[in-house]
Amino acid sequence: MRSLFSLFVFLFAVSVSAVSTTGNRLLAILDDVADKENYSKFLGDLASRGFELTFETPKSETLALFHLGERKYDHVIFFPTKTKGLGPNLTPNILVQFLNANGNVLVTLSSGVVAPNSLVSFLAELDIQLPVDRTGLVVDHFNYDTASAADLHDVLLLPPPTAVRSDIKNLFGAGAPADSVVAFPRGVGAALGASELLTPIVRAPRTAYSYNPKEQAEVVDDLFGAGEQLSLVSSFQALNSARLVLLGSAELLQDKWLDEAEVTKVDGKKAKTFNREFAKRLSAWAFQELGVLRVNWIEHRLDEAGGSNETNPKIYRIKNKVSYTISLSEYAYDTWSAFNVPTNDVLQLEFSMLSPFHRLPLSFDKTRSTKDAAAYTTTFVLPDQHGIFNFKINYKRPFLSNVEEKNTVSVRHMAHNEWPRSFAISGAWPWIAGIAVTVTGWIGFCALWLYSAPPTDKKKQTKKTQ
Amino acid sequence: MSADPLDTLATIGKGKSTRSALRVVILALIAAASIASRLFSVIRFESIIHEFDPWFNFRATKYLVANGFYSFWDWFDDRTWHPLGRVTGGTLYPGLMVTSGAIWHALRALTIPVDIRNVCVLLAPAFSGLTAIAAYLLTNEMTTSNSAGLLAALFMGIAPGYISRSVAGSYDNEAIAIFLLVFTFFLWIKALKQGSMLWGALCALFYGYMVASWGGYAFITCLLPLHSFVLICMGRYSTRLYVAYTTWYALGTLASMQIPFVGFLPVKTSEHMPALGIFGFLQLLAFLDYVRSAIPSRQFQSFLWIFAGGIFTIGLAGLVVATSAGIIAPWSGRFYSLWDTGYAKIHIPIIASVSEHQPTAWPAFFFDLNMLVFLFPVGVYLCFQELADEHVFIIVYAVFGSYFAGVMVRLMLTLTPVVCVAAAIAISTLLDTYLDTKTPPEDQQSAEGSEKKSAKPGLKSASKPVVGVYSIWSKGLMVGSFSIYLLIFVLHCTWVTSNAYSSPSVVLASRMPDGSQHIIDDYREAYQWLRQNTKEDAKIMSWWDYGYQIGGMADRPTLVDNNTWNNTHIATVGKAMSSREEVSYPIMRQHEVDYVLVVFGGLLGYSGDDINKFLWMVRIAEGIWPDEVNERSFFTPRGEYRVDGEATETMKNSLMYKMSYYNFNNLFPPGQAVDRMRQARLPEVGPTLSTMEEAFTSENWIIRIYKVKDLDNLGRDHISAAAFDRGQKKRKATKKRGPRVLRVE
Repeated sequence: MRSLFSLFVFLFAVSVSAVSTTGNRLLAILDDVADKENYSKFLGDLASRGFELTFETPKSETLALFHLGERKYDHVIFFPTKTKGLGPNLTPNILVQFLNANGNVLVTLSSGVVAPNSLVSFLAELDIQLPVDRTGLVVDHFNYDTASAADLHDVLLLPPPTAVRSDIKNLFGAGAPADSVVAFPRGVGAALGASELLTPIVRAPRTAYSYNPKEQAEVVDDLFGAGEQLSLVSSFQALNSARLVLLGSAELLQDKWLDEAEVTKVDGKKAKTFNREFAKRLSAWAFQELGVLRVNWIEHRLDEAGGSNETNPKIYRIKNKVSYTISLSEYAYDTWSAFNVPTNDVLQLEFSMLSPFHRLPLSFDKTRSTKDAAAYTTTFVLPDQHGIFNFKINYKRPFLSNVEEKNTVSVRHMAHNEWPRSFAISGAWPWIAGIAVTVTGWIGFCALWLYSAPPTDKKKQTKKTQ
Repeated sequence: MSADPLDTLATIGKGKSTRSALRVVILALIAAASIASRLFSVIRFESIIHEFDPWFNFRATKYLVANGFYSFWDWFDDRTWHPLGRVTGGTLYPGLMVTSGAIWHALRALTIPVDIRNVCVLLAPAFSGLTAIAAYLLTNEMTTSNSAGLLAALFMGIAPGYISRSVAGSYDNEAIAIFLLVFTFFLWIKALKQGSMLWGALCALFYGYMVASWGGYAFITCLLPLHSFVLICMGRYSTRLYVAYTTWYALGTLASMQIPFVGFLPVKTSEHMPALGIFGFLQLLAFLDYVRSAIPSRQFQSFLWIFAGGIFTIGLAGLVVATSAGIIAPWSGRFYSLWDTGYAKIHIPIIASVSEHQPTAWPAFFFDLNMLVFLFPVGVYLCFQELADEHVFIIVYAVFGSYFAGVMVRLMLTLTPVVCVAAAIAISTLLDTYLDTKTPPEDQQSAEGSEKKSAKPGLKSASKPVVGVYSIWSKGLMVGSFSIYLLIFVLHCTWVTSNAYSSPSVVLASRMPDGSQHIIDDYREAYQWLRQNTKEDAKIMSWWDYGYQIGGMADRPTLVDNNTWNNTHIATVGKAMSSREEVSYPIMRQHEVDYVLVVFGGLLGYSGDDINKFLWMVRIAEGIWPDEVNERSFFTPRGEYRVDGEATETMKNSLMYKMSYYNFNNLFPPGQAVDRMRQARLPEVGPTLSTMEEAFTSENWIIRIYKVKDLDNLGRDHISAAAFDRGQKKRKATKKRGPRVLRVE
């Protein structure tokens, strides 16, 4: 019922916006509202996907992310701004609050522009480090566009992103033409900490490094980062699935790089850029249009012949056989489809009290799946331990929104009348026979006693001795 | 009609039927008085369940009334001992709940719609009336004196030793158990005296009821065999004893095994072995008795006695062997602490931490029994004078009751009945001797005196100097002084009941400067807050003392409660309370704790708070995790337990200390925060909490409730997240010295 209701609400929401699963109010922060012309294609793409764009400068007095404690916007894009701070309305605390309130953020940096203090400390909270003095330039003397950056080697040509791990779907680079590249002009690389919530989308090539063009023009002695430790495009997904993308090169989104048909590799070959599609996927992921999972319903029930057919009962008994099914959907741009677990990955169910008693793989259940919802199921016997247990699904993968579901059930002990009866246990037969013999013996003795008169003369004798 | 009205009155008093009518009236009045004196708490406060355990009993009764007997019998309680749950139906003594449930149903059948709470509150006083009657019956078996029974009933009705556990609202097992104890003893004496199977079966029936009601049934289980054994040793074996004992044992053991909590304990544990042993011993004796009657030979007889002794020794040896081999469960820790009062303190801190398990202080005997404690030995002495089977029982009971009452405070309760009976025998003997208005004729003096000595021995001073009884003055003096003593006794009992035993302890009473009563109601305020402001399945962590109350009043699941069945779980809570936040937080996450409740008496000077109990938490936790929790580190190098600036770092960083004193110094001008309970000046900077936030603090700060924070949404640890919220900037990682941690994937 609840899932039906949420489905209804969802359908209603779709008819209104047909975009992101969390809302379509998008705020773009620019130095100057006129700057948006540089990004007209990218912003046009966003608008065409149904986002309502609002443009503000950091200095604007009307700028506020929250109104009466509620989020005013669902997503924020930061384009590079020259101001040193971002003013009292975009302090790191407010930005953290924005993420905590399920808002999504896309931060773009540019090597030419010093990153604002506020953003730097905000990113530091997420364990993302920017280069010293908040400016840096990533160059690679082996992978650059010879056409536009012949001297400075600062327009990197990168292969389309591949999957980070084998059990993760390649959301950003899948389907890219074989020889296409992502052009990454004059970007800033960031160093990611060990936080589990961070995932690099695009790492710098092994030969790239970051330096400060103003101070280290001659000699680079103290290297901020090099090779794959530099993340050019990074993603962060909070526990509540709010997302942040850090794009090292804002220029990538500008019209001239978004559509530039051809770049020249170091070996002289021409290649097509993948930038427009990449930018689309990047923003779609950041704004909850891609890689969003939804739990449609969860059902667990007794799987025993003659048992109750109640759905999601509050209490089971030890050693009951129980089936558990979860239905998942995945969102892509405007449609929900069945979520198929990647080939190397497994969706697991934990049945736990303090620690897991069972950790079971869930298998695809064809009969209960539909076109836009996949059901995964398993059947198992509850442990021989009473207590308060949780059916737990903890499916957290990079680039997919977090699925953490907990259904609490009590597992009770055997009731006094649920044990087998004594006559059903063969070991009890001698005892039952013993009872029968005693009873009949006693009755027999009573009968004998009643119907046998004692000899009268001997009775006196026995009394005497007493 | 011509007779003097005084004479008529005297003749009325002499008629047998009028006497018994009078006795009934007096007994009814005594029962009414014993009920009335227990109502102080209802009048002073309100009709409320008291203390801790009664809250569980009340909750269980409500469950029974709402869900019926069978679901109560198989009750799995998932709202206590989270996440283990408790098989409550199988781990409680159901007698109390079933009794009040039955009363409630009976009243409803009579179309008296009464709240189950009122049934529970008034159950203990009602049963104390019955106890008085049972004491009357028991005493009447001991003596032919008519007044002894009535006096015993009166003493039983108002003795503070019993009232302490049976005021209105004290809805605990003892409320009905003492009645059952006394009544079972009465039936036992009756069965023994008459050698009657019927009385033996009745005794077994009430013994079964007793087993269903209170863990203290073991007292009966041990006392009856002991009495029988003493009788046998005195050479008083008889068929009466055989019939009474075997009937009681066979039926009573079967009855006791029907209670799930007891189950097979009667054939498995050492506490029940004496009863089994005497049962077997009696069979042997009966057999030998039969053989003896069949073969009249003195030599053979003595041989048989040796044979019986041999069997007994072999049985005892077998018992020892079976116990050491583990076939019979060894004595439980609670029993060891009955022999060695220091045992629990060393081995089982959880038992020692309960105040009612402490050894009794000597003044408590006078406080709880007043003058009866002096008359008690007199009564026992009088029993020695007569020494029939039933008097042996009183003597045995007196010896063991006194010992156990000296070892454990709460066992004063089992001593009280025998004290009342013995004291009543003593006083009635005195009064019977001195209240005789007739002066014996001069010539019969010597003859009667010698006759009395041999036939009806009484107290020496009462029987021998018959001379004293001739003087009306000495009679008057004796009777007058005892009347005064008795009046003082009543005064004392009333005073103790009203001042010491009628506080519900849920509500604290204090006096305003003008003398009017001021009620401190922080407990209920906090529990009400929990009930109204938290999710229905929000788990509350607190020290186990408050578990039953939270379950009963706030209706929220708890981690541990007063049913201390799982020491490890309690130690886990103790560890969470006594460790640093970083250690406690994962424990609380694992146990799905939503709120933590602490009791803090620093503002009001309330002594029963958690900081004072804190060392027990540390000790219990140390018992399980000796490497992680260390009691010594909570004491200063000079061995002091301090909470002020001199407190140790372990103390200051413990979760309990932080939760108790969090924000406390904001109440005072800077640097002047004072803990009124411990008279300690607290450091100027109070503790900071990062993994939890203050959710509620009651009016007088007695109860403080903290909400456990969720994991940080951005994956930071709580300390840095809290620092960030306070506006402290994170140090730039690039300025850190040392190699950067590389990310590997």
